[in-house]
Amino acid sequence: MTKDDHSLVRQVLAGDKDAYGVLVSRHGETMFRVAFRITESEPDAEEVVQETFLRAYRSLPAFDARSDFRTWIYRIAVNCALQLLNRRKAEAAVPIAEEYDEERPGLQLVHRGAGPDRLLLDKEIEHRRHAAMEKMTSDERLAFVLRHIEGRSTDEIAAALDITPNNAKQAVFRAVQKMRRSLAPLWVKS
Amino acid sequence: MKHLTDEQLIEHYFGEGANRVMVETHLRICSRCEQVLEDITSALEVRGPEPPARDAQYGDRLWQSIQAPLTPYPGDPRRARFSWRISWPRTPWPSLVLAGACLLALAAAFFSGSLWERLRPHPNQAANSAQAPAQVKERVVLVILGDHLDRSERLLVQLNHAGAATPQSVDALRAEARQMLPDNRLYRQAISAQSDPTMTAALDHLERVLLEVANAPDQLDPDDIARIEHEMNTDSLLFQIRVLRARTTQAQTASASRKGSI
Ligand SMILES: [Zn+2]
Repeated sequence: MTKDDHSLVRQVLAGDKDAYGVLVSRHGETMFRVAFRITESEPDAEEVVQETFLRAYRSLPAFDARSDFRTWIYRIAVNCALQLLNRRKAEAAVPIAEEYDEERPGLQLVHRGAGPDRLLLDKEIEHRRHAAMEKMTSDERLAFVLRHIEGRSTDEIAAALDITPNNAKQAVFRAVQKMRRSLAPLWVKS
Repeated sequence: MKHLTDEQLIEHYFGEGANRVMVETHLRICSRCEQVLEDITSALEVRGPEPPARDAQYGDRLWQSIQAPLTPYPGDPRRARFSWRISWPRTPWPSLVLAGACLLALAAAFFSGSLWERLRPHPNQAANSAQAPAQVKERVVLVILGDHLDRSERLLVQLNHAGAATPQSVDALRAEARQMLPDNRLYRQAISAQSDPTMTAALDHLERVLLEVANAPDQLDPDDIARIEHEMNTDSLLFQIRVLRARTTQAQTASASRKGSI
């Protein structure tokens, strides 16, 4: 019989450290996935996951048994990822260059078919998408990933980032605008 | 005709926003707004890389990579099956347990090797290859200490801005200082066993400030705070804490970059 998360948490707090291993195994991959989507880097995502479970272990006495363990740890993962993004930004001594001038005409490709044009376009799209992600602030990037990729509600994002729902909405809005501006030169007007 | 704002269109894309019917009606008759929505949609259809797949043993490996430095919570494992409360009571007990666990982790790391050496900027940091469990242990300590320094920094910033504080925020400050004291004492004791005069002095200074705030009378008013701030030179302490915080972050990053993927 598989134990539910709450019984495992109780066991851990009662001194059974190995019970925590079951929780780590159970939720590790989900946390890796969200960490990867936020950081877009495998080593960074691994670091976030390890730190998440280390922090969660220490904070376990503060876990409210009425809440969902997965939601709780997800929130810790999001915060660890946020800290890592901030750290990475601080480390980048040279600011990310304005590699993609938004005014640049871009590649005017008429269709999205196969062939060499398609490859070129894909490369250009990915470059511009990545540049837009780098231009977002950490909060914007997190809100964007949680809303757009993870499908979280504005309220959930606000709770995870400890900001107001309106600020969460604004962060998503600014992120989308950055993405739009970065990619706009590539779309052929119909 | 009043066009829809970008914000309305982005909300519409995410299926949010009041007045959906109005937005949809407008989109049917306005090609300009329809075009903007198309732009938004095109931009958002571009997705980043998908997370690489993890194999079935991933969770176990993850557990093996972090479990060594975790100290079991004190308690009788057999009792867990019989006692169950809806939520754990808010007593000082969990924080004592936590503090104890932190001290054990700290002590283990300090006495097992040259951790403290690595907290200092080290010219050959990258060449200093430790065994995997030691690295994780080091990261645990760095996370713990980093958290404590973060918390101290926040408290000092609040203290330094407390001139215009309300009685409630003064109360909160005092409660926070009381909570932090036992942790700070443990860290200071663990660290004074090592020879790091800067960190020891900072934690010592911090302890005196915390004591002063924690033991302040019920009627601690902004004037008292200003006095503490002045007498205890909290500005310079804040500066020290920030420098130390940067040092642990640096060591944390170095420790993380030495660590391979699991
Ligand atoms: Zn319109």
